[in-house]
Amino acid sequence: MLQFVLSGVAIGSIYGLIGMALAISFYVTRIINFAQGQLMMVTVMVTAELASSGYPVWLAALAGLACSCIVGILSYVIAVRPILLSNRFSFGWLVSTLGFAVIVENAAAYIWGPTSQAFPPILNGISLPIGGAVLTAQQLLAIVTAAVLAAGFEVVRRYTLFGKLGMATAADPEMASAIGANTTVVAIVAFAVSAVYAGIAGLLIGPSTFANPYLGDTFGTYGFIAMMIGGGTERPIAAMFGGLLLGVCAEGANALINSQASDWFPFIVLVLILIVSPKGLFSTSNPLFRPRRAAVTRG
Amino acid sequence: MVSTFDSQPGDPQPGAGAAPRLRVGRWRAAGLAAVLIAYLAATAYVAHTDLGLQSLVLVAAVFGILAISLDLVAGMLGLYSLGQGGFFGIGAYATTILANDYGWNVFGLLALVLVATGLIGMAVGAMSLRVSGLYFAITTFIFTLVLTVLATDMVTVTGGLQGLLGPAFPDFPARLEWLGTPLVWCIMLALLACLGLVWNIRHSPLYPILLSIRDAEPFAEAAGARTATIKVGVFGVSAAMAGGAGWLFSFLGVVSPSQFDWSVSLNVLVMVLIGGINTSIGPVVGAMFVSMFPNVVNINPWLQEIVYGALSILAITLLPDGVVGIARRALARRAGGIAAAADAASAEALPAAPDTTASSASPKDSEIIVECRGIEFGYGLGPKVLRNVDLAVRRGHIHGLIGPNGSGKSTLANVISGRLTPHAGEVRLKGTRVDGMPASSRSRLGLRRTFQAAQLVKELTPTQNVMVGLFDRVPRIVGRAPLWPMLASGRRDLAAMQHRASEALSLVGAADWTARQVADVPHGIEQLTQLASVCVAGPDIIVLDEPATGLSAKEVRHLAAILANLKTQGVTMIIIEHQTRFLFPLCDRVTVLNAGEVILTGSADEVRADPVVRQVYLGE
Repeated sequence: MLQFVLSGVAIGSIYGLIGMALAISFYVTRIINFAQGQLMMVTVMVTAELASSGYPVWLAALAGLACSCIVGILSYVIAVRPILLSNRFSFGWLVSTLGFAVIVENAAAYIWGPTSQAFPPILNGISLPIGGAVLTAQQLLAIVTAAVLAAGFEVVRRYTLFGKLGMATAADPEMASAIGANTTVVAIVAFAVSAVYAGIAGLLIGPSTFANPYLGDTFGTYGFIAMMIGGGTERPIAAMFGGLLLGVCAEGANALINSQASDWFPFIVLVLILIVSPKGLFSTSNPLFRPRRAAVTRG
Repeated sequence: MVSTFDSQPGDPQPGAGAAPRLRVGRWRAAGLAAVLIAYLAATAYVAHTDLGLQSLVLVAAVFGILAISLDLVAGMLGLYSLGQGGFFGIGAYATTILANDYGWNVFGLLALVLVATGLIGMAVGAMSLRVSGLYFAITTFIFTLVLTVLATDMVTVTGGLQGLLGPAFPDFPARLEWLGTPLVWCIMLALLACLGLVWNIRHSPLYPILLSIRDAEPFAEAAGARTATIKVGVFGVSAAMAGGAGWLFSFLGVVSPSQFDWSVSLNVLVMVLIGGINTSIGPVVGAMFVSMFPNVVNINPWLQEIVYGALSILAITLLPDGVVGIARRALARRAGGIAAAADAASAEALPAAPDTTASSASPKDSEIIVECRGIEFGYGLGPKVLRNVDLAVRRGHIHGLIGPNGSGKSTLANVISGRLTPHAGEVRLKGTRVDGMPASSRSRLGLRRTFQAAQLVKELTPTQNVMVGLFDRVPRIVGRAPLWPMLASGRRDLAAMQHRASEALSLVGAADWTARQVADVPHGIEQLTQLASVCVAGPDIIVLDEPATGLSAKEVRHLAAILANLKTQGVTMIIIEHQTRFLFPLCDRVTVLNAGEVILTGSADEVRADPVVRQVYLGE
């Protein structure tokens, strides 16, 4: 019981980080970046490549994050900005961000080949017994990092001018630029931050998945589910809650049903949640948690 | 079969303008017949050619059907469904499993697949339509995701990732063997049928209604369209079409999960967007391009994918309207003059339609036709916007509604017309209690309304927008739409609707603008088009929300004359307006609202003289 909850929380924080990455770019531009999983993959591949050529792991990891940052900004400049400029409400970004994902994924497969490569173990070798359960130090690192990044984002969003600028840009870019916000810079920063979140998720999971060009597909999908379960489209931090729930559900299904159950069980949870609350469990439109009309009418 | 559209050579066309129309119609029919013959000849060629080319064409054709099914909901209703892959998969798996393991007849299965996917589509649609726009795309995306997972994991039934070998398509009977491969005929005729279906809908009066549901839902509702039902129904048709494509696909070889996953749904969207969304053949052009691309560009598979990704980004950023959209615009620029002339001619040619406005009996002063009692309303958790509002409007009166900004005038109009449901109190129209009734049902009771910000479809002409107003005045528009241009009654009704619409437009003085898109007309004409779309239905009661906003002084005088004329025909009107100089001379009664409460109802003179009104509204 404790074992699957703990390892569920660990893998869930990875899903949550990718969900948050999706939610952060959604939060500013109202589009879902289908290349988000590929941004994570870029960090993993570059880090693996540099580490295996003999650079220290921390340097390789930084370079990996920088690369996914650049690719993330490119995804905005190439696949998102031209579409939103011509029509803010068009759905063309569905196609262009997917096209971008296809390019990045296949470029990686072209460069590194389709097979998995070694990834530096970082803290994966150390195991920590907690109660009756065992976690690797890497899993613990994932949980702590995710908590810090989620809380950090929420603080920035709520209490800094930049966070409010993000909200303003999301609500109405024209209005935001009319009051002097440079919406392009806000969006570029959001995409860079989202790429870093996805990249960090990649560094945290890399030691157990190894480096594979097709990593982005799976983790992008799980990140998306995390965002939808949580309701990250309204508040990015809700995607983290969604990720944790998803992770625990998947590990729990594996432990309690059978070893393949994590392939389908999370989807059942997702469907049930969306039937009850179409915008996610932790969204304001959830009928279960909706703020009630005040009993005493004012005025 | 499509060639029966438009005027038959022998069709009697009364009036002087018949000749040019007939000529245009004849050319069109001849052109269509030529295209049809070429299509059948090409099909015959493919049916006799080698297997490689056959499978290339057939896969493209099946994806063409899939793309048409998506365009039906995405182009005409703005519902970007990513569930098409899922319906496609249901059709293919159901056919394969039931035909192979249970030996069911494949044609019986076609009917089953169409009905089943249609029903599933309606269920998914009804669930997803609780949320709109992006969330609709996401919920349908998840539907596909879940189905792919099921197909992968239910190994005993679906064969898992390996998939299943599809059933064989039955052979032609001996007499028909000269036709070649039967599957080619089946798929190509199915594609033709789908093209015909969408083409018919596009040439029926349902088309402007679908677009108004997409772009201006309140307008469609106020015109009597049950928008939610129509959306769910059309989504069901689209799902059935995708399921049918799956049925066809199962005969082409192996059926496996990767052929139906979410990336397929997105690829179908790529096809639609590249070819041209909301065009008749654009989706098929896009499907041909996307499905043939890997065979035409034969390089390293990864490079090929990279080129494909780059091309789809380029296509979507450089050609947002798609290939066909661009071509159509170029053609329209050249042919615009001719079409307009033909339009004018056809309008002249038609027999006089019944009067556009109701000429009911002389107003009885005693009868109250619209009554609100004790209306309470508030948005969300905010303060109440309407508090205990009573309003009684007599038949044949013009009733003014004035008050400072934020006093609740538009909210009251929305409560009366059914956009909003009051928290307490009751609304009666002609004695029938209507609060709780949707806006579309109130339209059937003879109530119509205009909007403060004109709700129109920008890419249609004013005439087409006004035709939306006739939705509940013409029987069975939805039911007849799939065959519309082929039905004599359809052609007759469409002509009559066009005639009544252009008549209504000339009545309000917007006749010069009928051939342009609403996007290109001045604001005043938009307002007049709104008014025409209301008048064309001959309503008993009209609610006008700031009709004079943005009109020039001359247009305001013209509007006053139109409204006075409507009044002589016995139409009751509730007018919200700030320009009291325009409003007061028209009104029998005026109600003044302030901060959600009625402060006075009386004649224009009483209102003008009242000290409280002068203070809160006229600012003295």
